[in-house]
Amino acid sequence: MIPKQKVVAMVLAGGQGSRLGVLTKKLAKPAVPFGGKYRIIDFPLSNCVNSGIEAVGILTQYQPLVLNEYIGNGQPWDLDGMHSGVNCLSPYEAVSGADWYSGTANAIYQNINYIDRYNPDYVLVLSGDHIYKMDYNEMLEFHKENEAACTIAAIDVPKEEASRFGILNTNPDGSIYEFDEKPKKPKSTNASMGIYIFSWKKLKKYLIDDAKDPNSSNDFGKNVLPAMLNAGERMFAYPFEGYWKDVGTIDSLWEANMDLLDPNVGLDLNDVYSRNPMMPPHYIADGVKIQNSLIADGCNVQGDLEFSILFSGVNVGKGAVINSSIIMPGAVIEEGARVEYAIVAENTVIGKNSVVGADPENVKDRDEWGITVIGDNLRIGDNIVVLPKAMIDKDLEVSE
Amino acid sequence: MRSNNVLGVIFSNSCSSTLTELTAHRTTASVPIGGKYRMIDFVLSNMANSNINNVGIIAKSGFMSLMDHIGSGSAWDLSKKRSGVTILPPYAGINFANKVETLYQLRGYFEDAKEEYVLLSESNVIFNIDYTELFYLHDVNNADITLVYKKMTAPNKLSPILTVEHNDIGKVNKILLQQEIQGECNMLLGSLLVKKDLFLNLIARALSENELDFYRLIQKWAENYNVFAYECPGSCAVISCMEEYFRFNMKLMDGGLRKELFQTDRPIYTKVRDDAPCKYGLTSSVKNSLVSQGCFIEGDVENCVISKGVHIKKGARVSNCIIMQDTVIGENCNLNHLIIDKDVQINNDKSLMGTDSFPIYIAKKSLIN
Repeated sequence: MIPKQKVVAMVLAGGQGSRLGVLTKKLAKPAVPFGGKYRIIDFPLSNCVNSGIEAVGILTQYQPLVLNEYIGNGQPWDLDGMHSGVNCLSPYEAVSGADWYSGTANAIYQNINYIDRYNPDYVLVLSGDHIYKMDYNEMLEFHKENEAACTIAAIDVPKEEASRFGILNTNPDGSIYEFDEKPKKPKSTNASMGIYIFSWKKLKKYLIDDAKDPNSSNDFGKNVLPAMLNAGERMFAYPFEGYWKDVGTIDSLWEANMDLLDPNVGLDLNDVYSRNPMMPPHYIADGVKIQNSLIADGCNVQGDLEFSILFSGVNVGKGAVINSSIIMPGAVIEEGARVEYAIVAENTVIGKNSVVGADPENVKDRDEWGITVIGDNLRIGDNIVVLPKAMIDKDLEVSE
Repeated sequence: MRSNNVLGVIFSNSCSSTLTELTAHRTTASVPIGGKYRMIDFVLSNMANSNINNVGIIAKSGFMSLMDHIGSGSAWDLSKKRSGVTILPPYAGINFANKVETLYQLRGYFEDAKEEYVLLSESNVIFNIDYTELFYLHDVNNADITLVYKKMTAPNKLSPILTVEHNDIGKVNKILLQQEIQGECNMLLGSLLVKKDLFLNLIARALSENELDFYRLIQKWAENYNVFAYECPGSCAVISCMEEYFRFNMKLMDGGLRKELFQTDRPIYTKVRDDAPCKYGLTSSVKNSLVSQGCFIEGDVENCVISKGVHIKKGARVSNCIIMQDTVIGENCNLNHLIIDKDVQINNDKSLMGTDSFPIYIAKKSLIN
């Protein structure tokens, strides 16, 4: 028999993340490389382990190969226990038929059996695409103290950005009286972080009811949470202070990476676990200038770096300049190339003296400026110019 | 012969008497090297990459750090249900006084292993080798014993070395114990392939004849058995004293050597800690150096090999140093030609200088105030 787990965590990792464009062409968003050696999913997984949660289900649907392979047996996160650990849960065929996960709530609904095996008191529902460190135990204590059916983690966001988020309007005691999804005129700045703790018995009932409703889109935010609120369940907003970022867009992914270089941002990478590539220490050549950058093992740096992040095994040729950019594992920046405000995906080669992206200071029309993104396993030839904001998904031998 | 028919055996205390301070509290096998490795990683990875599935590591003394490093062996993919890596310490009051006796005392381990061949290896040899060619040639030559050597400039050191003379098909004519030698020589690397049954017989006979000198024993075998020599392809370094240790680390700045040692299809594995990527501050300046993950570099670094988790603070100038993990170098320090062991703290404004031929060693957990 499987021993009881107090909490089971379910990580929503099935979405395509289409706003990341070429970066998620072949892999799910949670598997996108982040921070010089991590993948985004390392953050929720490490948070779970550091909070003492030993059973984690990862709900996969879109392009799961890279993610499945990366998670493997869960050993890098200590999630390879004898009776618990991490499992990737894809949609499957049952006696009643086979269905894709039609929404976030449906993904949990289809895995009720998985959760029930552990007989948990609580279920923690997480997103696989957020960068933050959090002790879920503190949130659980808050949930218990309030005898809540559901607790939603909330972060205070700047007023001008509040309309991008799901806003939680609360009473003075922290209980929620209204959800306001991306409001035009937000009443508060209490944004939902997409982190939910449910008392499992309650959630199970609402998931089963939701599945019976043919008009429901089987989504937590749109259907299940409003249904719980309408039924008068105790729902609370748990105030979180600290670094948190949704990395669903190119801009936010780039910014979150750059935040790691900012000494004023309180996100330290201790206790974040990951798979580690087997490579020697990185080499920095003579006559090279490196400022405020992160460099992983296996890199060979013969060019200059400024406010940039090099993942493992990146080669930077002589005279190359990299500024405010993210260079993913195994990429090669050849001699004399200049890469600025760009994301270069895995194993891509930027040819000699090519110019990728630009510093916004040097661009006349700021509306035309943006982060340049080059897809994985591509070759950008020599002397090519790739404009700011471009997103490249094929080899280039002439400038676009 | 199939690789999985070979039992790997590694001596973890190779040359520990001449590596002096570095091995005061650890085996030679677990001496940190090359920024993130331990010496044994090379020979152990070579075995794993050559599909040797069963490895015994002979540990004579001071093997705490070795046990910590090897763990279950999973870092080398040697944590298998049917085989894996085993540390072999002295037991039941038997001390491992010399190699011949040690091997004799471990005969039970050898007998129990299902492999028919034994590959003995020293832990202080740094190379990247695919042993399958050695296994193939051992068969082809119908050899009793095959010894691995490398043609190299004789090391300038106090302890004697074994050199080999062979004919053009590799058959050994003579093995010499060289006390003082200059110029090129065929230096034996301490790797030896032999059929297990023969080996156990040879060791038992040596003991009965009170022949306890392993070097002398190899010389004797060369006279009486079908012994072949196999030259290690690629670069190879034998680390047997502090000066060689220092020189070898500095040589790793050579991209060609790194490419040979750290091949992507034959990686050198090691126990990995979850360190963040290395962070370079606004005030850092780094030249010709190897730096590991988890470091925070704010000062000036030149010609250094820096292990994981090292913090070099603002204004510090560090040149020609080997710095082991989690050491902290204070602001405005001036350091040159040092080997700094683990967890050392050097407070602000200190100056310490060794020389190229005599690097100064700073012991583990020292506080320099």
